[in-house]
Amino acid sequence: MSENVALSRRKMIKGAGALALGAAAGLAPISKATAARGKAPRWAFIVDLRRCTGCRTCTVACKAEMNTPLGAFRAAVYDQVVGTFPKTEKHFLPRLCNHCEGNKEDGIPPCIKDCPEYPKDRRQFITPEGKKIRYRGGATYKRPDGMVLYENELCTGCGKCIKACPYGARSWDKLLISGKDSTKNGIAKCTFCQHRVDNGVVPSCVNMCPQKARIFGDLNDPNSQVSKLVKEFGLLENRDKNTLLPKENTVPMLFYIDPRGALMKMANARKKFEKEEAWVDQIT
Amino acid sequence: MKRDISRRDLIKLGAASAAVMATGKVGGSSALAGTVDLAAGGKDFSPQTGAERKMIPSACWSCVTRDSMIGFVEDGRLVKLEGNPNSIRGRGKICSKGASGINQLYDPDRILYPMKRVGKRGEGKWKRISWDEALTDLAARLKKLRDEGHPEKFMFHYGRMKASSSKIIKSVFLANYGTKTIGNHTSICEGAKWTAQELTWGKHYDNWDFDNTKFVLNFGSGVLEAHTNHIPTCQRLGDAMVDRGVKMYTFDVRLSNTAAKSTEWLPVKPGTDGAIALAMCNVIMQAGLYDKEFFKFIRATKDPNASTAAKVAALKSHLAQYTPEWAEKVSTVPAAKIKSLALEFAKTKPACVISYRGAVAHYHGADTERAVQMLAAITGNIDNPGGRCRAVGAKWKYPKGPKKKPKAKALKIAQGFPGTIAYPTHGANHQVLKMIKDGRAGRPEVYMWYCYTPVYANGECQENIDILKDESLIPFTVCVNAYYDESAALADMILPNPSYLEWWDYEDMVSPTQVPEYYIRQPLVKPLGESRDFKDVVCDLANRMGFPLGFNSAEEFVKMSCEKTPAVKAAGGFEYMKKHGVYHDPKAKPKYYGYKKAVKPDALKKDGVIFDKATGVYWNWHKSKAKSEAEAKEKGYTKTKNAYKGYIGQEIGGKVYAGFKPDKVNKSGYFEVYSELLEMKKFPALPSYVPIPEHKKMSANDLILTTYKVPVHIHSRSANCKWLTEIYHDNPAMINTRTAKRLGIKDGDKIKVKSEAGEITTTANVTEAVVPGVVAISHHVGHWEYGRYASGKKSPLAAGDDSDFKLKWWTKKGVHPNWIIPNKPDPISGQQRWMDTVVKVRKA
Repeated sequence: MSENVALSRRKMIKGAGALALGAAAGLAPISKATAARGKAPRWAFIVDLRRCTGCRTCTVACKAEMNTPLGAFRAAVYDQVVGTFPKTEKHFLPRLCNHCEGNKEDGIPPCIKDCPEYPKDRRQFITPEGKKIRYRGGATYKRPDGMVLYENELCTGCGKCIKACPYGARSWDKLLISGKDSTKNGIAKCTFCQHRVDNGVVPSCVNMCPQKARIFGDLNDPNSQVSKLVKEFGLLENRDKNTLLPKENTVPMLFYIDPRGALMKMANARKKFEKEEAWVDQIT
Repeated sequence: MKRDISRRDLIKLGAASAAVMATGKVGGSSALAGTVDLAAGGKDFSPQTGAERKMIPSACWSCVTRDSMIGFVEDGRLVKLEGNPNSIRGRGKICSKGASGINQLYDPDRILYPMKRVGKRGEGKWKRISWDEALTDLAARLKKLRDEGHPEKFMFHYGRMKASSSKIIKSVFLANYGTKTIGNHTSICEGAKWTAQELTWGKHYDNWDFDNTKFVLNFGSGVLEAHTNHIPTCQRLGDAMVDRGVKMYTFDVRLSNTAAKSTEWLPVKPGTDGAIALAMCNVIMQAGLYDKEFFKFIRATKDPNASTAAKVAALKSHLAQYTPEWAEKVSTVPAAKIKSLALEFAKTKPACVISYRGAVAHYHGADTERAVQMLAAITGNIDNPGGRCRAVGAKWKYPKGPKKKPKAKALKIAQGFPGTIAYPTHGANHQVLKMIKDGRAGRPEVYMWYCYTPVYANGECQENIDILKDESLIPFTVCVNAYYDESAALADMILPNPSYLEWWDYEDMVSPTQVPEYYIRQPLVKPLGESRDFKDVVCDLANRMGFPLGFNSAEEFVKMSCEKTPAVKAAGGFEYMKKHGVYHDPKAKPKYYGYKKAVKPDALKKDGVIFDKATGVYWNWHKSKAKSEAEAKEKGYTKTKNAYKGYIGQEIGGKVYAGFKPDKVNKSGYFEVYSELLEMKKFPALPSYVPIPEHKKMSANDLILTTYKVPVHIHSRSANCKWLTEIYHDNPAMINTRTAKRLGIKDGDKIKVKSEAGEITTTANVTEAVVPGVVAISHHVGHWEYGRYASGKKSPLAAGDDSDFKLKWWTKKGVHPNWIIPNKPDPISGQQRWMDTVVKVRKA
């Protein structure tokens, strides 16, 4: 095994230890670049629309990975036909939780802001080189590495986070009972496959995508593919064009490489990417 | 402090990770790896419980692509399927259908016990019987036919049966039993392609070398969503287009996902792709952009020894009639576009022309494929890096069973009615039930089908039902299946096969890299219930009938094959394959230009090898049906039955080359643009455009019905996979906005679609994504059996349950188009003419 692996393994042991003490921790795998800085990773997810063929491997991979019940989708793809024959176009738009940064004022995504069970306990995120970063847990919360997560055990099943998300990225998990109210269901959403990422493996949909249209990585690592793509396509500077619903000011960490302007064309056609739309993957 | 499950599990997870790293591939610029790497001792854990999962390499079987994959097993239950990163074919990827394989395994409607009909055939009344009772009954019936000297009255009809499954069941079991009354499903797939390829370059299957190509022309293939080598090719094409800026132009009647991702979608009238390909050939020949070098290997005239100049002149003269302006009138594709694409295709080296059912599932579809082959040949894009290559797959050695085999007999019902099809080299199996009804070629006493659904997969569903139901036509029907589909409902006996995730195979599907990959399928879990791999069952049946096959299970057969196959044996044999799933020779070079190889003089001196002057072919008459050398010489290579089996090489300009070795027909070793074999059957010798007769007689308001596939379904076997059917469960008929307006139809209207074969009622999807004058209805859905997710009703033999079912939120189930598509063969190949049906559409 390489030196990196050994390093990661040591960190994992530490991470586990920290957990045992009562603090949730990010068992972040590391590269040397991150190690040198001692920061938490800054996870970003890029969908390259040049590559997406609307095949739905992501949708099904996610269903299998998370055993998501029928009617709920943590990952979904939208199809939209635009234009007039014979100049017709069809666009595909993969959707998942944006893992929003939250607005500049408070840095809290709307779903977390509306959660009555946030903030709760104090936690520590341990960076790969052992630096401790403090943050607050809750029924839904954001880790210092940017993952927007939830804990069913703390959840009252109030559904406020579902309503708060302007994208409709959260839904009820109808086979899950909420931790604090046995009369209510729990919620489901994309977790960036935290259980995989913390073990050094990309999210399932990223791994499974046959076209490499989904790219996940650490923006704090200048050598990561996401860093390179963000630079190449100016994704951070052009959030208004490369992310969904920029006016909501949620600052998504999900970016689209979209040279054909699919986001705009789809929005103009029908899809508004808003919560009122059912979050359902349908081929029509 | 209260702790929740996920946090507790994180602890476990962390601890487990400490023991063994999740992946072997850490390092480089990004520390994150993809698929957990089996070879490096990777691990995977449950997101819910943190439990470590067992990883077993195997192979998919959702479609014929048969990707290598890894099954993740937790507490004896398969929980996830991912691609095998060590496969050179799939590069760690599988598709949505592959990933939903778990739904195939844990299908709550699965048949888990042998069943015997108790009511009338098709009434849906069943009795569970033991395997011993089932096989005692079946063996007695089969043995009786065999003992009476009529083994051919046992008809075996398969849909998907490849590699070791085909060898065990067909080459060993059925051969030793003595029946050659064997049907397949190729004519309802892409048979016209294969016949055309056999007539031009010999063996069927074309690999598209996207890794090296610089330009792609696509005639009717959904290569990015539904190809027969889907995952290996689609990802390479995606790379070519995005990383290297390779352009792809797609001719299709519908804006498929592939067309949508193409540089340009070129809408085309159904059945006219051949006209475009011919016009392109014309443009290229007239512009002098043909590949002189390759012309040496082309046969373009009756005279096999014609000079390149004579061949060029012959093609120029034949093609002159096919001007781009003419093709525009036929196809609606602008002449200027045809011209510019032809020139770009000819000038960009290498370029790859691809084709599939959209182009070939027509009257004279084989001619369209020949035109496409010609387009590749005249530009030298044959068997070259970046072009259209002859397929390369693993060559397994296997135990062949008893040395002495009976002389097998056949009812002539799998190749279509006599005189209707010139070269049904892959059968005309949509004609089987019609021929059984007709009776003149005899009828099977026992009709058994395996991974096949004669009722649903062919056209004219009602006729299929009526014939299968009629006990006077077929006395005994046996269905081998895991699922209660529309055909299983008409069986007298059902033998419960497991899903492919519970059985053994060696595998050999075509490699996109031109380097063969050996791989295996192994059970990820034990077969559920009493389901039993049919390959094991035939060993049992053979023993019961007194002709042991020399192995007693598929596992044993695969093991023996691993030891017999030198490359696999050297790698570590069966144990290696079980551990890694895949093997390829890391030193192997990609196979290109095989036709250029010189034949060694010794090979020409062997006993029985003679020279055929008429074709320039050296061949060994002993391997043909000729009784003597004199007879062989008198009849000649072309007209001696099975002469192609003795093919040695092709003489061209005084040298003998390996050439384009024939398979199934007596073509020469040239790349035969000119086909003497077709001429003998009174078809044009050079690829030609022959209009579809029914389309010439259409009235103003008639439409042409075409079918298609979506990315999330297998043709007919995935509708009960809940994760797929949740995404796609309804198939409203696509009609262009202008056409709909003319017919007074609005989006969402109930409509009736009527053909000569029948009428269906469905819904209109009024759209800009299909050409005017066409109604496009997908396959996959519209089931009336198969189970709760497919048809809305539980199968009468359902052995399981699924808590998800109460969350099924959709009620639509689509309408199957095959009810109204007549079973009509292409007269050259026998291909089912899926895309030719003329229909009337009106508001219901």
